[in-house]
Amino acid sequence: MKDLRRLWALYRPYRSWIALGIALTTATALSNVALLALSGWFIASMALAGLGTQSFNYFTPAAAIRGLAILRSLARYLERLVTHEATLRLLSELRTWFYERLEPLAPAGLRAHRRGDLLGRIRADIDSLDNFYLRVLVPGASATINLVLLTGFLATFSLPVAAVTAVGLSIAGVALPLLMLRLGRAAGARAVAIRGALRAAVTDGIRGAAELRALGASTRQTARIDGLSDALIAQQRHLARLKALSVVLSGLTAPLAMVAALVLAIPLVGQGRLSPADTAMIALFVLAAFEAVATLPPAFQAMGETLAAARRIYEIADTPAPVADPAVPAPMPRRHDIRAENLCLRYHPQDAPALDHLSFHLRQGEVLALKGATGAGKTSLVNAILRFHGYQSGQLTIGGTEVRALGGAQVRSLCAVVDQHAHLFNATIRDNLRLARPEADDAALRRVLEDAALWDEVSTFPRGLETFVGEAGARLSGGQARRLIIARALLKDAPILLLDEPTENLDAAAEDHVIAALRRLVAGRTVLLISHRPRTLALADRVVTIENGRAIPSPPSAPCPKYATRV
Amino acid sequence: MTTFSARAPDRDTASASERWLRARAHSVRAPIASAALAGTAAAALLIGQAWLLARIIDGVVIRHHDLGQILPLVPPLLGVIAARALVSGLVPVAAFAAGARIRRDLRHHLQTHITALGPAWAGTERSGDLANTLVDGVDEVERYYADYLPQRYLTALIPLAMLAAVVPSDWVSGLILCLTAPLIPAFMILIGKGTEALNQRQWRTLARMSAHVFDAIEGLTTLKLFNASRQEAATVARISDAYRRATMQVLRVAFLSSLMLEFLATLAIALVAVFIGFRLYYAQMHFLPGFFVLLLAPEFFRPLRDMGSQYHARMAAIGAAERIVGCLETPAPDTRGTARLQQVTLITFDRVGFAHETGGQGLSGITLTLARGECLAVTGASGAGKTTLAHLALGFLTPQSGALRIDGADLGSVALDDWLGHVAWLPQSPTLFHGTIAENIRLGWPEAPPEAVEAAARAAVAHDFIATLPEGYATRLGDGGEGLSGGERRRIALARALLKPAEVLILDEPTASLDQGTAARVIATIRDRAAHQAVLLITHDPAAARAAGRILRLDRGRPVPPPPAGEAA
Repeated sequence: MKDLRRLWALYRPYRSWIALGIALTTATALSNVALLALSGWFIASMALAGLGTQSFNYFTPAAAIRGLAILRSLARYLERLVTHEATLRLLSELRTWFYERLEPLAPAGLRAHRRGDLLGRIRADIDSLDNFYLRVLVPGASATINLVLLTGFLATFSLPVAAVTAVGLSIAGVALPLLMLRLGRAAGARAVAIRGALRAAVTDGIRGAAELRALGASTRQTARIDGLSDALIAQQRHLARLKALSVVLSGLTAPLAMVAALVLAIPLVGQGRLSPADTAMIALFVLAAFEAVATLPPAFQAMGETLAAARRIYEIADTPAPVADPAVPAPMPRRHDIRAENLCLRYHPQDAPALDHLSFHLRQGEVLALKGATGAGKTSLVNAILRFHGYQSGQLTIGGTEVRALGGAQVRSLCAVVDQHAHLFNATIRDNLRLARPEADDAALRRVLEDAALWDEVSTFPRGLETFVGEAGARLSGGQARRLIIARALLKDAPILLLDEPTENLDAAAEDHVIAALRRLVAGRTVLLISHRPRTLALADRVVTIENGRAIPSPPSAPCPKYATRV
Repeated sequence: MTTFSARAPDRDTASASERWLRARAHSVRAPIASAALAGTAAAALLIGQAWLLARIIDGVVIRHHDLGQILPLVPPLLGVIAARALVSGLVPVAAFAAGARIRRDLRHHLQTHITALGPAWAGTERSGDLANTLVDGVDEVERYYADYLPQRYLTALIPLAMLAAVVPSDWVSGLILCLTAPLIPAFMILIGKGTEALNQRQWRTLARMSAHVFDAIEGLTTLKLFNASRQEAATVARISDAYRRATMQVLRVAFLSSLMLEFLATLAIALVAVFIGFRLYYAQMHFLPGFFVLLLAPEFFRPLRDMGSQYHARMAAIGAAERIVGCLETPAPDTRGTARLQQVTLITFDRVGFAHETGGQGLSGITLTLARGECLAVTGASGAGKTTLAHLALGFLTPQSGALRIDGADLGSVALDDWLGHVAWLPQSPTLFHGTIAENIRLGWPEAPPEAVEAAARAAVAHDFIATLPEGYATRLGDGGEGLSGGERRRIALARALLKPAEVLILDEPTASLDQGTAARVIATIRDRAAHQAVLLITHDPAAARAAGRILRLDRGRPVPPPPAGEAA
């Protein structure tokens, strides 16, 4: 219920669109029922008039039938337009909302969610939220309105007829779908789990095809995939049988309700409380009424999926931001030396400290290299400098100003970063570069590409700067991607440079190029260089070794505080 | 370099894909026919139900029957209702059977074909795309057989059945239906075309837009570094908005044709009702057939309307089939020899040449020998052909000139899987599979005792970090070894290669992303192994290359003399 309320809060600004969509959907359904029921009543009345047993003014109903036919078609057209328009508006709103929630979290705040395929999950979940309006809200609300109005109309003729119809409609629209959801829940959950395992096995089998072959394990993998495929089909067979059961049961409900309504209505004709033509109307009315609630079962199905998706999205959106900008940020530092004094950083109170009383001084214009084993805390230091994560105690200053006294955007405008996680966007080389300086002209882009030893290759691409780099730069080689990232950092032209393994995974020749480019880049800048490659380390004026979050050698100190005293 | 032309499927490939889908329907003819038959039987029972209902109403309205006189008609009506409900229940069961068989066969077929295509091909596809094809794509194709095809038959059969019931009762109404009906397929084609355009264009735009949002999310850290992350929110909103406007423009037109369909169907029902009404008024017909026809008129159009909702299933299936056909129609490389090897002692490259079809760096004039008890290092810049050389030695690629011999026998004459049984390989970017660390190390020797696994892990300098994990060797690895560093993943893969009993050991960059201390220990292991295995060591780490007895230096696919001492490899 709470999740529903939060969803509604997101949808609130669009309530008039939503109301209009519901109104038009209801109008379409009701005009369909009215058309059929009126037709039945009309021909029965005409037959009676033809037999001379009653007089009948046929002009109004005949015109009404034609009118309803037009109304139904038009309402249906407008309904589709309005609901699609509203869906697209909501889609835009939801994506922007989610992006804005995520923005302050990256990257440190998302660490806890980095399990599994975070992005794949977000994508699917946001898509199901998009569907909430079209698949849950509109059909659910309009079917409920239909149910009330239709039984209300019947009640003006006969309460028992209305009651039996309401019972039938509730069974078909509410009880049956809930029963089916309940019966199918276990098989559905198992199917989701098996599908996940199947996807993993298939991905493994493709990504590792060469290795499986070399290890003589291809046949075993194929057998595994066949097994999972069979298991998935077995669950889906169970669900298909349930669907068949629900087809049978709902196929029984509508005509049985109609028969019951007739059995109740026919004696009323004899008592003179109902005209004979009314029975023709009631038969058609009840049958058509079931079509007006036929949208409910899929809506129930979608609601479960949507709420589960919403909960997962909220879980991410509600993650507290790892760092808050100061209310009144300090002025931008004039100097750019970096000093750490007993710096302690833990990602989580239970974790070992990532930085443990780390102290060093990086003078302005100096290249200081940090080396140490993986996990020694080098990247945590970069996160602290960039204000991606707070630190619990100690000092970290840029030009004498405490880093936490500055806004994240301020600090980041001072720094250019080259690391292994830098992202290339699925856009052109030009767009990827211009991220650093949107107004840069092609001459400037060429200059930085030359400095990054990439221009020779880019100039041979048929589309040059207009070349699309593919998803996460997939259309470039590893070395090209890295040099493009360096070119982007060059273009940013920031006084402080953070180089986190800038030559990792590059071959010797490419490393030579990149080191030459870096040599041009580091000149006159304050540089923190993280690497364990000897030739890259040669760029440094001074090398400090970090081990377990502290500089070696370092004086003894008290343990790091578990909880943030200051962030 | 990859080509940058977007792979946009046009109408031709779409119809080719549909032909392929149709051809597959052959194997599931029986369940599809059963589904169509059950649907038609349900329609026939519906006609019976309408007839009985019409007689009841006729009795009440015209003949002034009371409940007692009506009651004899109720049991047969209930019987028909029950029979119809049961028969309709058979439709999803038969449809599922059709889809299930297709799915199972297709997945097996795809997986086998991917294996047959071999590692050289798998490397060119993005594994995520292909995995989606195998898991979701196959499910989408399934709907073509389970939903679309049966519905197609019903769309032809049910209106005919309705017409057969209507015409004898009232030919005028039959005529109205007959006149409107042909207009509907015409509009269906229009809608189909509209939907097709909508699908091909809009879904791609939607995908692009959604991709943009997720690309921004993925690159959030980078955007923040350039202080561009806040503006990006505006971009996301702007793109979504532009998409909405563009889509609505198309939809307004696309929905118009379905408006016409709805309008025609609804108007036909209204006309049937009004015409019957007036003939009743002038006593030109009886009430019973009139009411009966009125009950059937909406049923005449229902399958046509349902068909509209199956267009999505069809389009999705065609889209998925395109990807599946693309994979299945890639010809598998020629099947190789069948000879078996006993013991491998000597690998010979005799003036081996190879050129990639895609124009990547090939090799030429490679002559080398590698015997058991030796280690040969291959060095050179990336793109110099080192990995190509490894793939040739593995038999994944076949030399186009020269010869590659194993103990004098041409590698081409040896069964690939037999040869691979003698080789252990650490690829440049190793894959860790879903499962425990121990299972991953054991892949090449599933029955290996725990001591052997641990010994291999120690040799690969992996035991120490594995032992610090809370669950040790039983630690489950997620997607691609998530949670481990690059160096840790490589060392687990190295342990896997070391555990496999083999005479030949091919190691592609075993020391990449390892710190110096760890790298030195790995190099010591390689030295040990060179005592009794034939080790082909591909590396650009000078320290590792020094561990080898001999060094082959490649430059743009050709062997070159080693650089003067003091310079790096």
